[in-house]
Amino acid sequence: MSPRKPRVLIVEDDPDLLVVLRVNLTAMGVEPILAGDGRTAISRIQAESPDAVVLDVMLPGIDGWSVLEDLHALGDPVPIVVCSAKKDVEDMDRARELGASGYVVKPFDIDRLVDAVMEAVGRNTDAEPGWQLGVQGTELA
Amino acid sequence: MFERDKAPDGDRLRREARVAGLRDFRMPSLEAVERRRLRLWLVTTIVLIVVAAGVMVVVRPTGSSSVLSEPMLRLAIFVLALAFCVYAIEKEFRLGRATRLLTDERVLTAALTNRLHEASLLLDAGRAMNAVLDLPELLETVLRSACDLLDANGGSIMLVEGDDLVTLCVRGRQEAVGARLRLGDGVAGHVALRREPVLIDGHVDPKEFPGLADRDPYVESAMSLPLIHRDEVVGVLNVNAAAGRGFTEYDLRAVAVFAEQAATAVANARLYEAERAHVAQLIELREAVGEAG
Repeated sequence: MSPRKPRVLIVEDDPDLLVVLRVNLTAMGVEPILAGDGRTAISRIQAESPDAVVLDVMLPGIDGWSVLEDLHALGDPVPIVVCSAKKDVEDMDRARELGASGYVVKPFDIDRLVDAVMEAVGRNTDAEPGWQLGVQGTELA
Repeated sequence: MFERDKAPDGDRLRREARVAGLRDFRMPSLEAVERRRLRLWLVTTIVLIVVAAGVMVVVRPTGSSSVLSEPMLRLAIFVLALAFCVYAIEKEFRLGRATRLLTDERVLTAALTNRLHEASLLLDAGRAMNAVLDLPELLETVLRSACDLLDANGGSIMLVEGDDLVTLCVRGRQEAVGARLRLGDGVAGHVALRREPVLIDGHVDPKEFPGLADRDPYVESAMSLPLIHRDEVVGVLNVNAAAGRGFTEYDLRAVAVFAEQAATAVANARLYEAERAHVAQLIELREAVGEAG
């Protein structure tokens, strides 16, 4: 029996990005699952226990920050890669404090985001949690 | 990678649904899959109860002889129950996958619908703005469209006049019409000077916005956007959220696209107004010359 494919939840309200991320992650052998808003994201994380989450902060209704806060409060250890158009250090610190494992500044290079997600998926749980700033050296300035 | 992994989602979904027993559907609905799952659990429970009852009957000493020996019967029932459990698990697995795929489809459809709705509102607003050249009427249209777009309960438009911002159109607090604010003062002045939108949620720090009016420190939720046309700030659009609804960065992004269109419409209306005044002046001058001649 083949091992289960890693499952990644993509939380994004932009339909184009949803499709692009789904196609790219599927090509990497990941089973992507989708959420278009914060409420759906929380319910799918709880119901399907994904191996990693790609979380856009700008969402309709419950935004990405609230999702992070909720998961942090619940103590959910799922690795989360936060995507945001804001590149302020305060925002990155906030994401890190709320338990995010990575922070990607939009607009991003899709390959780098996929790399960040794959790293989050494959992270050894015993290892020191890594912090990817702007995805492996992406310029933040 | 297996060929089946490359199949489009629709095909994968139909295949999962067919294997799971939903043969009558070209594209099964989430509800149909959930109903099928419920039926599966119901049938599984009933079969297991029947099997348990069968085992109890078999192990009961009846004294009568049977074609099959008691151990053989027990084994047969056990194998039957095991086979059914495997069948139920396989179906549940398939139905679970179908549920996930259908939920994904719903998410994509919802995202596309939201995008279409947003685009449609922006298109309507753009059409309405382009149909008006009279400045007061245009400002009214812009503010109404912004409030509709954001489901807001009020706001204002301030236009740049020299070094000041003048409130020309208001929804809500009508006494604010005509109020002047220096560029750089308060939230709107800060937005006009910095050319950056501001999202306010709760308390406004007077240190961050010097010249803030005393009544302003607490705003439940509001946003202020610069109206920029050809690199020139023509004004500021302020929108206040309805009670109990907080604006997010998502709303700010949606209305930023709208603000670009509004700025162009305002600049055109101002140009039209200036041209009209110029023509009126020329007519007046011509009449004066005619009278003098």
